[in-house]
Amino acid sequence: MAFQMYMVAFKGDFSDVVSRSVQQRVRQSNGVTLMVMKTGIIAAFDDALVPAIQSHPDVKLVGGVTLNPQGFAAERLQRIFAENLSKQIEVGHESGPAK
Amino acid sequence: MPNVGAELASVPFGKMIYDMASAIARSQIALDKASIQLVKVLASTTFDYVPDVTEVLLPNPKTIPSVLDSQGNPLVVTGVTVQSVVGDSFPLTLLQAGVNPTFYSFTNSTIEVKMSITSTQESSNTLSVGVSVTASADFLFASGSVSSHVNFTTSNKYSYSVTGSSSMSTTLAPVPPPQHMMPRFILVNAIDPTKVTVSQS
Repeated sequence: MAFQMYMVAFKGDFSDVVSRSVQQRVRQSNGVTLMVMKTGIIAAFDDALVPAIQSHPDVKLVGGVTLNPQGFAAERLQRIFAENLSKQIEVGHESGPAK
Repeated sequence: MPNVGAELASVPFGKMIYDMASAIARSQIALDKASIQLVKVLASTTFDYVPDVTEVLLPNPKTIPSVLDSQGNPLVVTGVTVQSVVGDSFPLTLLQAGVNPTFYSFTNSTIEVKMSITSTQESSNTLSVGVSVTASADFLFASGSVSSHVNFTTSNKYSYSVTGSSSMSTTLAPVPPPQHMMPRFILVNAIDPTKVTVSQS
């Protein structure tokens, strides 16, 4: 049971409906979408839920990926991932600043 | 008597190792195929990369006519204007950007065979001997008899059992992608084109 980053590739051409549907499946699996592209999305979810994502009718493949810090745009990608992640994290009422 | 060596020799180690190696090889091929499919997707997914956005702060003084300074002139306050210059974008694939596929490899495989050989032998012998003597005598005759019996029983119990179990385990670990599969970057210095840097992520 480990949270990992995956590339979820779509079948066929890109459409908003397909992208939204796959993102919803990721969300239902307690995952988060880090980046959306025309060919698929980069998402993070528990590795035990790979079959659940893979079973979506519009998903072609699900493969584990890592962010190479030496990549040409690794820093920019990291910032995009962090920004998108922050929009999806739910903060409880009882949580607050550390005392 | 049980022959432990013969029992161990009867274990099909060769077949077990072959079956396991064959299964690992098939699994490895399937995993590599999936990773190569992923590489294709990552290499074909492009996005427009804007290398840099430059923001220049320019002076932008403003005059407030209703407020006069000590000289009696309208007060001038400092201000700035932010001028953004967005560099030309160019297409970049996810693979070039730094999203690497995960490759998996079987690193360690173990075959464990446990065998228990139990042999028991039990023998018991019973011997009972009895002698009875009777004698009688009267005026003219005397008689006597002697009888004896021997009972001997023997029993042997022999049991032999062999139990065995085997387990196979293997470790699957993520490994870095093959070096030849990763993109190379050739950077040419625009000011001094003779300076060329080649790097690989």
